Amino acid sequence: MALESISVIKLKNLLLVTVPSDPDDETISALQEQVLEAMAQHEAKGLVLDISRVQTLDSFFARTVAETVQMVALMGGRTVLAGMRANVAVTATQLGLTVGNALSALDVDRALDLLNAAHSGVRHV
Amino acid sequence: MKKEMKTPFKSPATVLGSEESFRLLVESLKDYAIVMLDPGGHVASWNAGAERFKGYRGEEIIGQHFSCFYPTESVQRGLPEQELNAAAKDGRFEDEGWRVRKDGKKFWANVIISALRDKDGTLRGFSKVTRDLTERKQAEEQIRQQSNEIMELSTPVMQVWQGVVVAPLIGSLDSNRTQQFMERLLNRIVETNSPVALVDITGVPTIDTQTAQHLIETISAVRLLGAQVVLTGVRPAIAQTLVHLGIDLSNIMTRASLSAGLQVALDILNLKVVRKNDSN
Amino acid sequence: MNEPQQGEFQITSENDIVMARKVVRDAATTLGFGITDVTRIVTAASELTRNIYHYAKCGVMYWRVLNQDTRVGLELTFKDSGPGIPDVERAMEPGFTTGKGLGMGLPGSKRLMNEMTIESTVGKGTTVVVRKWLKQ
Repeated sequence: MALESISVIKLKNLLLVTVPSDPDDETISALQEQVLEAMAQHEAKGLVLDISRVQTLDSFFARTVAETVQMVALMGGRTVLAGMRANVAVTATQLGLTVGNALSALDVDRALDLLNAAHSGVRHV
Repeated sequence: MKKEMKTPFKSPATVLGSEESFRLLVESLKDYAIVMLDPGGHVASWNAGAERFKGYRGEEIIGQHFSCFYPTESVQRGLPEQELNAAAKDGRFEDEGWRVRKDGKKFWANVIISALRDKDGTLRGFSKVTRDLTERKQAEEQIRQQSNEIMELSTPVMQVWQGVVVAPLIGSLDSNRTQQFMERLLNRIVETNSPVALVDITGVPTIDTQTAQHLIETISAVRLLGAQVVLTGVRPAIAQTLVHLGIDLSNIMTRASLSAGLQVALDILNLKVVRKNDSN
Repeated sequence: MNEPQQGEFQITSENDIVMARKVVRDAATTLGFGITDVTRIVTAASELTRNIYHYAKCGVMYWRVLNQDTRVGLELTFKDSGPGIPDVERAMEPGFTTGKGLGMGLPGSKRLMNEMTIESTVGKGTTVVVRKWLKQ
């Protein structure tokens, strides 16, 4: 299967990546590369990973996301996972997966609000 | 009854005054199987209730060992002997369990075996009083099933305000119920786009380690979605149990009442309830 | 029922991991599992297929529908002729890693499914069988 191309979109000083529904391992690894390049290029302060289409979250995916979050943090950014599906959350919890220090938000709008609020110093519970 | 029932022990005096009347009373009772056993456990007497429950007539069962009323597995485990020994030792033994009729059908019985001793203390035999509780057991089973169904139906996850859902938990959480509860709660959170979920445990009578772990699991799943849980309805007894069990809920928001939880939800959502102006 | 009741899938490349997920997703959905159970089964299959690819380089996944008197289920078998697992019990402990930073996803997969059996001989290979039963 051809490598699905991931587009990293710049929204002001934030990055938005929409993850496809069933990415293969190569795509997931490429995602990490592209995100870090974009972080460097745009000096972004935050990353939103839109996983609202993702159907399966296995340990490889979770590990790669956790690593990416750490790397993005080292480059000065915060990461938010947006739109996880209910069935994926149930399964991931049962599997015992964690996503490192990633924040979570119900959808992309809230994820962007979260990153903007944090950045502007408004206290967010 | 052709045989005269031998009474090797003193029977209590009855209002009717004679042992004969007492014997007739016992023999005719249909709701209780009242049976006498010799010290070895063989049937020495029989009554109408025994015939009704177990299906044997007096003449065919007297002299047989009472273990024939027990299912084969119980006999293999030595249950009948254990019960006689317990009765001989403590004077009395009570049990509920399956017994077998003459036709092989099982029934659920409540059995009290008492040791009968004469005034010297010598063991003369046992009395065995049996009640058929099969109907009661079936009714209990049905009630349990129905209350499970009612619990499922009566704990919907409700949206009480934009951004807030409430999930009342009733009863305890085993693995199955947790999975169902988690799925229902998470689906509603996504459907209603609610960042706050109030999980109310007022209806959880006692909390054990298993239920607490399942609750914690549920809260983790909600967090993965991007929502928060406030655990409400934490009563003093529950609070005590949680601390005694060493369960760490320090990174989970908890409140004693649902209304306090709602206040927390409003704070999180940056909302405030304001009284309308009277001048309107 | 005209749908296939069993199937076989060769695992020889990294790409086969996502293909195996699709095969299993189809089988589980057709059998009537709800979306969350489908997700569980597919995720377990993903873990176990990846194990074959990473540790044995190649192997095969079999799937079949189980039809019993009182219940219906899906069985997945993952078989390889790889290095084998020296200590299966330790591999089943949560937190176990093989030093590549990879766990084997075995305890997690077991939690997601109803039954799991593992047979492994060092130097010969491993067979993992998992089953999930349909809730009536």
